[in-house]
Amino acid sequence: MSGVADVAERHLPDPAWSVARPFWEGCRAGELRIPRCDRCGRWVWYPAPLCPDCGGEHHVWTATAGRATLFTWVTVRRAFLPGYRAPYVTALVALAEDPRVRLATFLRDIPTRGLRAGMPVELLFETVSEHLTLPAFRCVG
Amino acid sequence: MGLARRIAIVGVGETRYERRAARDLASLRCEASRAALADAGLAAAAVDGLIVPGSGYAELHELARDLGMRGQFHAASCFHSGTAVVAAPLEAALAIEGGLAHTVLCCQGVAWGSERRGNVGQPHAEMRMKAAFEIPFGWYPQVVHFAGMARRHMELYGTTEAQLGAVAVACRRHAALHDNAILATEPLELDGYLASPYLAEPFRSADCCLVNDGAGAFVMTSLERARELRADPVVVLGVGCGVVPDGEYSSLREDYLATAAVHSAPRAFAMAGIEPADVDFVALYDNFTALVIQQLEDMGFCARGEGGPFVEGGRIELGGALPVNPSGGQLAQAFVFSVNHVVETVRQLRGDAGARQVADAEVGVVTGYTGAQHATLVLGRG
Repeated sequence: MSGVADVAERHLPDPAWSVARPFWEGCRAGELRIPRCDRCGRWVWYPAPLCPDCGGEHHVWTATAGRATLFTWVTVRRAFLPGYRAPYVTALVALAEDPRVRLATFLRDIPTRGLRAGMPVELLFETVSEHLTLPAFRCVG
Repeated sequence: MGLARRIAIVGVGETRYERRAARDLASLRCEASRAALADAGLAAAAVDGLIVPGSGYAELHELARDLGMRGQFHAASCFHSGTAVVAAPLEAALAIEGGLAHTVLCCQGVAWGSERRGNVGQPHAEMRMKAAFEIPFGWYPQVVHFAGMARRHMELYGTTEAQLGAVAVACRRHAALHDNAILATEPLELDGYLASPYLAEPFRSADCCLVNDGAGAFVMTSLERARELRADPVVVLGVGCGVVPDGEYSSLREDYLATAAVHSAPRAFAMAGIEPADVDFVALYDNFTALVIQQLEDMGFCARGEGGPFVEGGRIELGGALPVNPSGGQLAQAFVFSVNHVVETVRQLRGDAGARQVADAEVGVVTGYTGAQHATLVLGRG
């Protein structure tokens, strides 16, 4: 990922936005936390007021194992925003706990033999500033 | 069903399509609307229904005033951006059948070439979930969203870059036959397509729609009235709208590749009493090449996964089995949220398409798309 010098220009999330704040707190603590309905256990992603399965209103930010599979990806050859250095690979990965939970992520450690849907990927964290840590995924195996 | 063959399109109009026009959006909308009314042989005073997708409150009333509408009018709108124009005949039919209006004008214009705020992804950047969980990870703007779908399609079904290119080449060849297409004089063949650099792999610039200025409009009225106005009204045989049930965020859709055409097309075809095999040509919402392939599958022109082979070998070109986007579409004529597709389909069904004319065109289908929304419109020769 780009260095700290780029941070002022990059589009970064607002870690104080109340809806997403527990996610960023989890990242700073080294955990990928996703809200989970405490009534039926459904992972509720993106965060939403009601569980799409049971309508439950109480969701608990719950740590995941950080394992996922590659769902799809795009190799961006021209950066569309300031602060991103092309080329980069941005991807959707499907979490092992529930593949309906897909996360957009930068993809690291791209194997020379190329990418395939379904490849295993694993979580890492990249520190942007003292207030913000972003999750990313890297190819494994 | 109740609304089939009840209304017709009696006038169409467009501005010149340009990368940057020397005029503002209000002026472009006004010109296209006046052209559509002139084509219908109607004065603005005859219009008592307006559908102006994407316009703000003030813009709607300024257009009515500028056109010279002085009476009461019904203002209808529901679906958004790319879907709205193609859903407009459904709104118009409801208004006309319900006695709210006799003559409905739909106008759509864009000035993204010269007046766009931010970059083309701005509306997405303003959605808070995307701002938090997608853009910081490079999943932005639209070209990335749709390239991701194209990649998934390639992974699941073996779709190739040459098949994406076949869509781009078809549109470019059609645009070359149009005197109001931005890329009319910039030919593209498959070799050149494959040799061009990637933008957001697997997409190249030729996979992406234009960014431009321009407007189009069309006038709808009851079929009875239409027959009094002109000998060749184009009849609304069927129209259907659909939505993806699991929301706006394409990254999270359970069926990641299905557009809401899986809902809108069967509704429109059922209303029209036709099958995909009865369609002579289609004008499909083409923000990116891959979405054309996805819609051909979703609408039943071929099975899921077979859209890639379907577009090869000239099948979707003029003279092929199912010509797609005969005006050059939004990839090669202009990006105006499908209003150019409506105008072209009307001209084709009137037999007025000149060098682009689809032989014996009796039934044409137009689509509009906006992320979670889709509309399918079946038009027929009066």
